[in-house]
Amino acid sequence: MNAAPRKLNLDEWDEHYEQLCHDGLREPCYGGSLRRHVVREKDFRLQQLQFDNSPAALRLWNFLLTENARLHQARANGDKIVGTMKDLGTVPVMAFSLPGVRAFYPDGAWWTPCLMECSDKLLQQAEAMGVDASFCPVRAMLPAFENGEHFPKPDLLICSTGAVCDDFSAIAQRLEHLGHSIFWWEMPRRRQPAASENFCSLPGNLIAPKIQVDCVRTELQRVGQALGELAGKTLDDDCLAAGIRTANQVRRLLAALREIVYSAPAAPLPALEMLVAEMLAIHFCSDREETITVLGGLLAEVQARVRQNQFIISTDAVRVFWVNPVADLRAMNLLEELGGRICGSDYMFTHALDLIPENLPPLEALARTALADPMVGPTADRAARIVRECLAGHAEAVVVSRIPGASHCAREGEIIREIVRQQIGIPVIELEIPPVCDAMLPNLGSRLQALFETARARRIK
Amino acid sequence: MIYAGIDAGSRSIKAVLFDTGSSQILASGLADQGVEQERLATELFKKLLKEAGLERSQVSGMVATGYGRNAIRFADTTITEITCHARGVHRLAPDARTVIEIGGQDSKVISLEDGGRVRDFAMNDRCAAGTGRFLEMVATRLDMNWEKLSELASQSTKPAIISNMCVVFAETEIIGLLASGKPLPDVVAGVQNSIATRVSALAGRFVLPPIYFTGGVALQTGMARALEEVLACPVRVSPQPQFTGALGAAVLASERGKGKP
Repeated sequence: MNAAPRKLNLDEWDEHYEQLCHDGLREPCYGGSLRRHVVREKDFRLQQLQFDNSPAALRLWNFLLTENARLHQARANGDKIVGTMKDLGTVPVMAFSLPGVRAFYPDGAWWTPCLMECSDKLLQQAEAMGVDASFCPVRAMLPAFENGEHFPKPDLLICSTGAVCDDFSAIAQRLEHLGHSIFWWEMPRRRQPAASENFCSLPGNLIAPKIQVDCVRTELQRVGQALGELAGKTLDDDCLAAGIRTANQVRRLLAALREIVYSAPAAPLPALEMLVAEMLAIHFCSDREETITVLGGLLAEVQARVRQNQFIISTDAVRVFWVNPVADLRAMNLLEELGGRICGSDYMFTHALDLIPENLPPLEALARTALADPMVGPTADRAARIVRECLAGHAEAVVVSRIPGASHCAREGEIIREIVRQQIGIPVIELEIPPVCDAMLPNLGSRLQALFETARARRIK
Repeated sequence: MIYAGIDAGSRSIKAVLFDTGSSQILASGLADQGVEQERLATELFKKLLKEAGLERSQVSGMVATGYGRNAIRFADTTITEITCHARGVHRLAPDARTVIEIGGQDSKVISLEDGGRVRDFAMNDRCAAGTGRFLEMVATRLDMNWEKLSELASQSTKPAIISNMCVVFAETEIIGLLASGKPLPDVVAGVQNSIATRVSALAGRFVLPPIYFTGGVALQTGMARALEEVLACPVRVSPQPQFTGALGAAVLASERGKGKP
């Protein structure tokens, strides 16, 4: 562990970074000051954020913010690049099982307008391409594909369709019409098995009819063939099993990190860094091995802090379970500034956090994991998991955040709210957080503050 | 002991002086909101002190609430309007289980537990169609004051259907309705129904009776009836609806004075 944990703004990080360098900070090849991402990449939003002060957090941010450069370098080195869209965690496991193949997540471009405070003009350009603000901000990936200023054009583009976000499907179809060929694979909507039907257990305490698991496995087999053809090597069971074991290393690290951060008497790591860390589960930020190192560093830092009883948020903070990722990262800081802390999360990819079964044939295991995606099943299933995790994390309140234009299920927030209220009776609010939420900060702040007042009042019996 | 509550809302500032000994409101007042919120609030507060024959030093504590609460730096602390309206309504109507507050720029539905504690809440501050702003727009368009608008609504026999979900487009629709000869009272009542429908959507399924209606819009004749129709449940207008936020703030100030958090 290094200095006592605290949050720093970008100016403070500049000074802190100088001191760390002076003290002999060792960094990977993508290391450097956070400031350079503002200067070089125009990630202006960083100037409004508060960051954890540990070198482990610095490494996490630098890893996240250098992904495009890493992809361009990989292309220059002759690696094959696969864009994996929508499945949130399954196809990357397959792609990284093959040597010389890197997967990335073009959907991630939805964060670019926020990080660049819309200076990238991606959202406006998407509108000019026929996909307006009534669609999810993922539409930012359309011009990013066209102008090549962000990520390199992938050698293979794979996208799941069927029981996935309809906004996303529309945007991906528009992308294909623009000339970017897509390898589609079908995801059925997860349903409860009929009484007489054979069924399989899935990660996350779920079940699904065997026929659905078989369908997804067959689809993933097709995906595997396409990946094998790209790599010039068959994606056999041994390869895939090894890939699953490494992916599970990432998932185990994240599980350990979540467990210690969310169950500690006070938060040893800010909500913002936890959100970024959890996101690594989906796509490994284009470098699976480095993901393991980055998460290992964070976990060691957090373990040391907890051992030393050093926390970043007071023990009095209201314990909040957060649902869905935010478009503007500033919201995660705001939560803590107003007296909250995260004690659990469902950022819409909980299936990418669950361990992939290692006792099953690899494709079968991946099919079951893919089918456990919260977005392909009923919201009530998702709400049931939220309730379980709220109870485990002693949550006092739930925040369901929404992104304007994005509606994976139009009634998602209401369903979650009703089920949480009914089963554990804690207050739930829905917040809509746009890509740049500055103008809405007073309103967002009022709602969060009211939520915390309500939760605190409930402490007094 | 005397406590003060100031509710710096989006359209007006409300203030209350509350005596815990007699459990009575000693003075209450209202001023239009403006750019210099703190000055306006100070003037209002001084006016109330004068009316009640009190000195500033006799006020044991003060809480500010409302949209502009953080600008009221002479208050001891700030508490959100959700908590304050809930406490204010509970003080005046202890049986309340649901509070609907429609203000100038937002609307809220607050669910209360026994003892007046907030159980949960929902809030709309992104769409003017469910707020008093809609009625203000109509009043401006028809060049009449708030009271006259209220009076007109009560004369309606067949409220107009306002289809648009957006106040800006609804304005065009209202002009069209008036041009087609729709009686004015029916148009105004139609606007009230439209607001009530938006608020009922916000309330969802967690509305439990008794429901109390508060906020400045509660003074509009016909609004409570419009809410009753869409919620299919009796809706009572809270006593002194425009002051429940400020009263709640004063009550909470007194509880803080007694050491309650």
